[in-house]
Amino acid sequence: MAAVNLQASCSSGLASEDDANVGSQIGEAERLERPPRRQQPRNNYGSSNQDQPDAAILAVPNVVMREPGGPRSSRLPGGGGGSAEMEEEQGLKYGAQHVIKLFVPVSLCMLVVVATINSISFYNSTDVYLLYTPFHEQSPEPSVKFWSALANSLILMSVVVVMTFLLIVLYKKRCYRIIHGWLILSSFMLLFIFTYLYLEELLRAYNIPMDYPTALLIMWNFGVVGMMSIHWQGPLRLQQGYLIFVAALMALVFIKYLPEWTAWAVLAAISIWDLIAVLSPRGPLRILVETAQERNEQIFPALIYSSTVVYALVNTVTPQQSQATASSSPSSSNSTTTTRATQNSLASPEAAATSGSRTGNSHPRQNQRDDGSVLATEGMPLVTFKSNLRGNAEAAGFTQEWSANLSERVARRQIEVQSTQSGNAQRSNEYRTVTAPDQNHPDGQEERGIKLGLGDFIFYSVLVGKASSYGDWTTTIACFVAILIGLCLTLLLLAIWRKALPALPISITFGLIFCFATSAVVKPFMEDLSAKQVFI
Amino acid sequence: MDISKAPNPRKLELCRKYFFAGFAFLPFVWAINVCWFFTEAFHKPPYSEQSQIKRYVIYSAVGTLFWLIVLTAWIIIFQTNRTAWGATADYMSFIIPLGSA
Repeated sequence: MAAVNLQASCSSGLASEDDANVGSQIGEAERLERPPRRQQPRNNYGSSNQDQPDAAILAVPNVVMREPGGPRSSRLPGGGGGSAEMEEEQGLKYGAQHVIKLFVPVSLCMLVVVATINSISFYNSTDVYLLYTPFHEQSPEPSVKFWSALANSLILMSVVVVMTFLLIVLYKKRCYRIIHGWLILSSFMLLFIFTYLYLEELLRAYNIPMDYPTALLIMWNFGVVGMMSIHWQGPLRLQQGYLIFVAALMALVFIKYLPEWTAWAVLAAISIWDLIAVLSPRGPLRILVETAQERNEQIFPALIYSSTVVYALVNTVTPQQSQATASSSPSSSNSTTTTRATQNSLASPEAAATSGSRTGNSHPRQNQRDDGSVLATEGMPLVTFKSNLRGNAEAAGFTQEWSANLSERVARRQIEVQSTQSGNAQRSNEYRTVTAPDQNHPDGQEERGIKLGLGDFIFYSVLVGKASSYGDWTTTIACFVAILIGLCLTLLLLAIWRKALPALPISITFGLIFCFATSAVVKPFMEDLSAKQVFI
Repeated sequence: MDISKAPNPRKLELCRKYFFAGFAFLPFVWAINVCWFFTEAFHKPPYSEQSQIKRYVIYSAVGTLFWLIVLTAWIIIFQTNRTAWGATADYMSFIIPLGSA
């Protein structure tokens, strides 16, 4: 569904080529009167080597799904009902497939988090707190816990909001270098430092001896390959695997460093923020998306998980914009270090920069194979980068990895801006094609994939991980099912509305409802039934 | 990225870069090079750059094998002699397992 549309929309977004796409635009027919390219650094993130540096990194915790299809269908010449219907059908036909394509990575991420929580006790205990959560909920009274959770989440949310706005400002001022550098730094820290800690805790939990040379070799290999596959080019599966792992790491960090009630409060608050930021006309994420569309450039190739490869390289004639790499937006990983202040001392709020824009913007006119629905995640604004610096100073008591974490987190949230913006009617058709010489690629549609921001992965996993940390499998599975149902619904809405949508609210709401309902109602009920040996 | 859709010179370039990257103590990069370009090098109908890609894939495979042997040997030696080496082994250890009484 979205996939189909997205393609269309993406193409429109791409029309304005000029953006910094490095390679692409050979033969770009249309050039928007953008400011000279030189302002944009040419970096290629992840697989999309033609990726334009994304100016804006939106730290968006939510995934926004954009369904570009809307304007496209209206643009179809003489399409009338027929073509629109056909599009709908095609959209729905591919939509179901894409939903499944997202189930697997989301489930894998949750599986990693749940497995880690249940086997490594390190992540279950909160002995050190983040700088962003000064109220540690140590009093036994519920009312005190309640207001301290509220206060903590307000602090974190305000950091997120500030970061997002900073990101928008940076994006508008075209400080692409800063954003990219920060994204790279974030993913670097996440891949090396956090993985090192994870490895250490894993080995300790299983009591496995290991020597430094071997450990260093493993870390070095893992980290470098991760950076390569996320920010440069690498096999698609590898990139997806790394993105999932990095999202799981971030979720673990959140689970560890947030006090109990604060974690739930933050989940609720971030869903609401996502909703506001993406859907309201003055919302920062929407501004980001629109700015990116105006400039016809991609949103940062931040952390966006893509199920298909964008064929950046397919087009020999005109290098595509990095879009293709959308699939693996490794770059996103960098950007999104969640600076969520909430939890960790990591000063950097999560900058869930959405590098994702890859999908949409990437090809201005290139054929983009863009993935169908693009889910933009709300990322934390670039601000996280700054906050990271700030965090370093503030988090004097914390290790540097924490600071790094923050930036990671910020990077994680990214917004995927799918250019829903409809370009010319003509262009949208052109964009569909994958290969330059042949503008209309008949198989374009089947190459469409689906994209989901990493911030969404992280928060889904936080929800399920927290539920499983109480030790009850019924609740865990209930949350898992609820999140998947929410995801399906969101994708369905995307197919219907064809515009950017936040992916967090519905899933998190269902997840929270199911979690508390199950632990409060279903679990005692089941226990009673088992005790009395009544089988239903 | 999907190399099946990439143009041939690009593929060669990528294979080459991965091959040279592997020299920086990165056997994993070589392993990925082998896996990723294996079908390209051996199972596809020949094209002009294929012989070079084949060469790089073979060299990467050799490099991976070499590292595998070295690493396995070192791990076996270390794990079996860890307690015997005493203080030196402790100094080299990243994780020292907790003993049982």
